[in-house]
Amino acid sequence: MEQNKIAIKVKDLSKDFDISESGRGFSGKLKALFYRKRKIITAVDGIDFEIKRGEFVGYVGENGAGKSTTIKMLTGILVPTSGSAEVNGIVPFKERKKNAAKIGVVFGQRTQLWWDLPVRESFDLLRVIFRVSRTDFLSQIKKLDNALGLKPLMDMPVRKLSLGQRMRCDIAASLIHNPPVLFLDEPTIGLDVLAKESIRNFLAEINRDEGTTIILTTHDMNDIEQLCKRLIILEEGKIMYDGETELLKQKFVHEKVIEVEFYDDGNTIQGIPGVTVVREQGCKKWLTFDNDNYGIGEVIGTIASRYKIKDISVNEPSVESIIRNIYNNSAMLPTT
Amino acid sequence: MNPKLFIKFVSVSFQKQVTYRFDCFVGIVNGFLYVFIFTSLWKALYSQFDTTVHNGYTLTAIVTYAVLVMAVRISFTMDDSIIYRKVMDGSIAMELIRPTSFFFMNLAENVGHSLFHMMARTVPIVVISVLLFDIYIPLEVIRILLFLVSCIAGYILVSMMNFIAGLLSFWFIEIFPFLLFKYAFYTFFSGGIVPIDFFPEFLKPIVALLPFQYMLYFPTTILIGRASLADAQSIIVAQLIWIVIMGVICHLMWGAGKKKLIIQGG
Repeated sequence: MEQNKIAIKVKDLSKDFDISESGRGFSGKLKALFYRKRKIITAVDGIDFEIKRGEFVGYVGENGAGKSTTIKMLTGILVPTSGSAEVNGIVPFKERKKNAAKIGVVFGQRTQLWWDLPVRESFDLLRVIFRVSRTDFLSQIKKLDNALGLKPLMDMPVRKLSLGQRMRCDIAASLIHNPPVLFLDEPTIGLDVLAKESIRNFLAEINRDEGTTIILTTHDMNDIEQLCKRLIILEEGKIMYDGETELLKQKFVHEKVIEVEFYDDGNTIQGIPGVTVVREQGCKKWLTFDNDNYGIGEVIGTIASRYKIKDISVNEPSVESIIRNIYNNSAMLPTT
Repeated sequence: MNPKLFIKFVSVSFQKQVTYRFDCFVGIVNGFLYVFIFTSLWKALYSQFDTTVHNGYTLTAIVTYAVLVMAVRISFTMDDSIIYRKVMDGSIAMELIRPTSFFFMNLAENVGHSLFHMMARTVPIVVISVLLFDIYIPLEVIRILLFLVSCIAGYILVSMMNFIAGLLSFWFIEIFPFLLFKYAFYTFFSGGIVPIDFFPEFLKPIVALLPFQYMLYFPTTILIGRASLADAQSIIVAQLIWIVIMGVICHLMWGAGKKKLIIQGG
């Protein structure tokens, strides 16, 4: 029974790419005719994780960190160099077709729809591919239409859709067979705020109502903050954080910023333990304090008792700024 | 492989071909030009000699062969760089996320392509040729049925050959030279230009060991009556054996190629 609760299991998974370099310029290219340097790039370097059924996991990292390569191994497109992986109890690169029947996949930069066919016909082809009965198909399409507003798009050829429309159709396409696990590789790339919002709402809904396990890679940290309870951060092929999105703050944020507006600008803030002034502008001051050793109530209390305050607010750092910091200073941070 | 799905994909690929109508018109002219050149060459050659039968072919027989082998070849038209392009632009990823066999999807795509060329090019070329040239086909129902079976087997072999050539793009960035090489082998050793009977003696044993003659030459000889009905049956058996051999090669190459695959463009 315990086994059934796990949707994805990855153990010591690695993928190397063998890249042969051809030289630069004419002489380099000429040399490359006879001799090529072989270079091995480790895109994914011994990662481990487990994802339970119904989880919504953000899988982030810089370009080239190995996110897409991981997704491609879990969907059976790429064969790993070493290690093991199971999705729904199936080894994807051994039983690609069996695995494919039980997962949904969206690659934001590509489409799985047929370029020249109307959306409706693409869906119908997928219905036959995934062996979905006509009644199940119709009720699923109805549900997807309600959430994603597909009706006006159904008779349009895919090549005429805008990016946002195409993405809605692609997400719908990945769910025609109602898969228990959904892989989304940058589904919101290049979309406007409204389109992003409608896609986010829909994803949250199927995760909540259908219990669909979702793995989402994205560069948009708003996606992560709004959707993913759990976050896996990848860097240079290795996992450098795996835990709750909320806890990321506790772990990596050691300073908080307080924005205070005073009634007059003559105040000099001094002698409050752990607090330093980082910026001043008229009556407004921005203070940081050591969040690990001092409580926020204590700090605000001290400031309020000493000065007359007009307004005060505590700024939570965004996940984006935390991750930006992690990317920038990864060498300095403790590894998890 | 689900037959319904196979037929659906054949029809999608067929419809895609319809978009390239101008291509098709050029293809008819081109195909007919070939037929005209080859039949003229044979007529000129045969007129140089006093004997009327060469390597077992009368002038009528060789003209019939030239027309029909071209008809079969045009019907077997497929896009041999299709796998290469899917690897180059990375769209192969989108096929691999479906619970379908890559080989059979590729076959279905080829069939749709070829069916279009058969209807749009082979039919007019054969009709014009029958009117213009002296052509003789023994009209026996069993013979025609055996020809069709042999054609299907030949077609599967051509599709497998292109599949194997296409899979090379899993290992090599550029496969055009391989495709040229394959094209030369296919057109010549399949009897696509000259029937195998006219080949020099030293080549015949080599050709006999290769699968190419089972693609165009043997099916054509069944239709024009050069092969007896008994021969036709053993030809089909030999074709089936080659399908098994090439099927194993496809399977092994696919297994090895998967590990080499790189998805371009993220």
